[in-house]
Amino acid sequence: MNRFILSCLTFATATLLTAQPSFEAPPPPTAPVQDAGQRHEAYLKRVDEVLDWRAGRIDITQPDKHLDMAAIAVLLTRGEHYDVCSQRVIEMMKDPGTGPFWMFPAVCVAYTGRDKLTPEAQKAIREAWRTTRQLRGDTENHWVMYYSSLYLMADLYPNEPAETWYSGKCSAENLAEARGYLLHWMDDLTTSVGQGEYNPSHYIGEYAIPMLFLATWAKDPEMRIRGRMMLDWLFAELAANTLNGVLRGPNSRTDEGSVIERWNALTSYFSWLLFGNTPTPSGYGGWGVYFAPVAKNYMVPEVIYRIATDRSGDYVQRDRARTRRYWRYSDVLSPPVYKINYLRRDYAVGSIQGIVNDAIQGHAWDVTWAEPDPRGKHNTMFSLHPHSSMRAMQSQFATFPEAMITAVTFEGKPSYDSPDKVLGASSYEKIFQDLDTVIALYDIAPGTRFEHINGFFSKDLFNVSEDKSGWIFAQGGRTYLAYRPLAPYHWIPYLHYSGGWAKEKLPLGGRLLVSPHLKNGTIVQAASVDEFADFAAFQAAIRALPLKYSLESVPSVTMQTLRGKQVTFTYGEAPVIDGKPLDYSKWKLFEGPYLNAEVGGRKMTITHGRLQRVLDFNTLTITDHVTK
Amino acid sequence: MAWGGFIAVIETDPPSTFNAGDGQIFAMIPSKKTFVLLALLVLPILTAGCTTPTHDLYLFGSINSAGRVAGSRDTALNGLYRRTPDGGFAHLGLNYPAMLTGSFDPRDARVFYVAALSGVLRTADGGRTWRIATSWDMTESKSIMVDPNDPDTVYAALPDGVGVSSDRGTTWQRRENGLPSRGKYTQVITVDRTRAGRVLAGCEVGIYLTENAAKSWRQVLPTRETVNDLQQSPHDPKLWLAATQSAGALVSRDGGLTWEKIPGVPSAHALYNVAFDATHPQRLALASWTYGLLTSEDGGANWTERNAGLPAPPRVWRTAVDPDTGRLYAAITGRALYVSDDFGRTWTNGGMENSRIQGFVFVPKSAR
Repeated sequence: MNRFILSCLTFATATLLTAQPSFEAPPPPTAPVQDAGQRHEAYLKRVDEVLDWRAGRIDITQPDKHLDMAAIAVLLTRGEHYDVCSQRVIEMMKDPGTGPFWMFPAVCVAYTGRDKLTPEAQKAIREAWRTTRQLRGDTENHWVMYYSSLYLMADLYPNEPAETWYSGKCSAENLAEARGYLLHWMDDLTTSVGQGEYNPSHYIGEYAIPMLFLATWAKDPEMRIRGRMMLDWLFAELAANTLNGVLRGPNSRTDEGSVIERWNALTSYFSWLLFGNTPTPSGYGGWGVYFAPVAKNYMVPEVIYRIATDRSGDYVQRDRARTRRYWRYSDVLSPPVYKINYLRRDYAVGSIQGIVNDAIQGHAWDVTWAEPDPRGKHNTMFSLHPHSSMRAMQSQFATFPEAMITAVTFEGKPSYDSPDKVLGASSYEKIFQDLDTVIALYDIAPGTRFEHINGFFSKDLFNVSEDKSGWIFAQGGRTYLAYRPLAPYHWIPYLHYSGGWAKEKLPLGGRLLVSPHLKNGTIVQAASVDEFADFAAFQAAIRALPLKYSLESVPSVTMQTLRGKQVTFTYGEAPVIDGKPLDYSKWKLFEGPYLNAEVGGRKMTITHGRLQRVLDFNTLTITDHVTK
Repeated sequence: MAWGGFIAVIETDPPSTFNAGDGQIFAMIPSKKTFVLLALLVLPILTAGCTTPTHDLYLFGSINSAGRVAGSRDTALNGLYRRTPDGGFAHLGLNYPAMLTGSFDPRDARVFYVAALSGVLRTADGGRTWRIATSWDMTESKSIMVDPNDPDTVYAALPDGVGVSSDRGTTWQRRENGLPSRGKYTQVITVDRTRAGRVLAGCEVGIYLTENAAKSWRQVLPTRETVNDLQQSPHDPKLWLAATQSAGALVSRDGGLTWEKIPGVPSAHALYNVAFDATHPQRLALASWTYGLLTSEDGGANWTERNAGLPAPPRVWRTAVDPDTGRLYAAITGRALYVSDDFGRTWTNGGMENSRIQGFVFVPKSAR
């Protein structure tokens, strides 16, 4: 066949196959698939959809344009074009990347190609790990990717001397160092005091993919089972915190897009792949493609699947996590984060107590409502203090004060220093939540950058009205919302950075409630439309709630919630509910109907109905129970 | 080299070698007893107007670093640069964008240690091969220094304390007894060249001193925010200067035991580092993002902004003074390296375009 015809055929084939069925099709049903066999079959089909889509984008006659490491891993998994892949690997390894985001794709190619790539190509990969230094990075996800990758490469090439590794350490030293960190991360941190990067909207891939690689490829059975247990741990938390597959706040780290279009996140790829209950993001989440070549080696257990797909009953999950490392300006390296999540069929409310978990990308609270099709929907409501602070930067980064703020705006977080941003944490925000009531209070120091708060009002809200009572009423999906600003405000259009490297802000619809007062607050109440005869009845119920607040001295609210609780919340003090102060110190690592774990316990019990799975990192056992 | 500076060096020091950290001189210091002999040997060279530098200058930094995130492909050579005979700079060894500064073994300058994002890097062959000397439990080293009187011992400043190696960087231990459990963010660590095991550390909450190789530390000065730099005078080992985030510049005249604020130096914004001029005992320089470059030519009594001729705004990340010539350097963040041969009155572009230079280290050629 001549080259021209081959090219035409390849192009036609590629065009046909580049459809993303689960991205373009109507949203999948959210009801669980009852039959285990059907669930398994559907899972495998979704995995193949990713592989088919990625393979379909490849014009094999132009490997330099079409074959990146994801494409190579997919082709190798599918048993296709070994010679072209080998040649391309050799070319790519002449200019390797320089950190964890290159390392784990390289590991994926090294392992999927270890019996398929030519010896020369395998040698080229190995040589890159000698010649090109790899930066370890400075975040939790960087380190997990870095050390999982180093572990697996040292595992793949044992007994090799120090001079053959970029680290200057021999295979055994690399393996031992990587194992040391991974066990520390699993045993001493995540399963004892919680993840620092809890509920990330994107970074879940940076944990799940390396864990899948360990579970699949590590020679040591201990590391394989650890990888598998960590996958269960991560996905159990994802399952319990999603609303029809959509992760909502709070988030340790999210981004400009995901914080308002809640579905548009890598977590939705994993919900789609594992639970099948939401559309996949475009391009299968990008990094998500690296999960697919190995995905058939893991399937989420039924108990986790059930948690993800069952929103028939309301539930509260109270969990602990921790902040990013505070190098400075804190009595504790990683202070505890107390999360509360209330999930219902129509909406979910989540918050932390008000702490700078991640200065740049933290998201402290929101009410997110369910949308039949979440794509393109800004289905969330929240307020925040748009803090931009050199001191906050210095707390969490080992840096001089002045340059960092400008630098982060060029490093994928363009809104950090914008007064109208909707992303980031502030030390001047304290939050209380009980069920579907949120009270966020602000006591901003004079001179702070910036001296106002922003409330996000989505383009997808309807029936929005500013009531003379002071409440703002709105409806999102099947959720009634009441938003009470505690200080005067004005409106501005919401402008959006569409991507981390965007230079301009674009109008996407929606607006911001801007309240330029140092002592400030927001109260939000939510309810399902099923609970009231009509919207007017909801509004009347809200207006009738006893409410007293003061912004003098220290912001303070005393009110009765829609659920009948008597609440007093004063900035900087423990909230008092029905006369009893809330004692965060007694919170467990996980506590709720589905996930339970003790602080320091290294053990999680995952429960749904009669199903129970216990992940015990003390004994490295996975135990399944079915109650009679 | 200025004659006066040479006199000052050899008149005040006991026999020792020293390996200064960031921005300072690494030199063999003659004793008084050898003064005459050395002077006789060296004088003809000096008086002949010799222009051959006796030190190599190493720069630590990155090029085009704006927008770099973890995993970014390198678009330039980063890490370590050495001054070439024509006055330019040649990249050396590892392409590593997050090197901050280094310290050389006075017995063999092919052995050096680098404070870097991944911890401490070490080479034993002049940069041909490298080892990440520390493990996962030490990261983001900010400063590093070999003890010139006990060169098997290396001290590393860490964001969560201090790491010490007693075996040339092969193994590392935490030595933090006496440092606070919190507040031990350590930006700079500087070894006193007059005595083995005497070290000052600039931390978040003050200046700490050890006199027993970090077996124990004590606070000699509390501060509200980080001490960014500590330097020992090449002329008088009892004289130390500190640059701080919010307490301005400080001076100690008793070897770091007591400190006082230097009047006339602004303190509302951070000072990044301080440099002595080994050729002139009265000359000092301070680098600051906000204030640019400040100099004093009367031992710190009066200070002058020397920003005319620097790119505006003059974001000076680092300054240093060449111990051979008194040439003043100002590393302007994201712009270039600027040089002045009249101590800041006029500046010329010294190359290293689009760089962020994190550290200067001068190494005597004799240590090669």
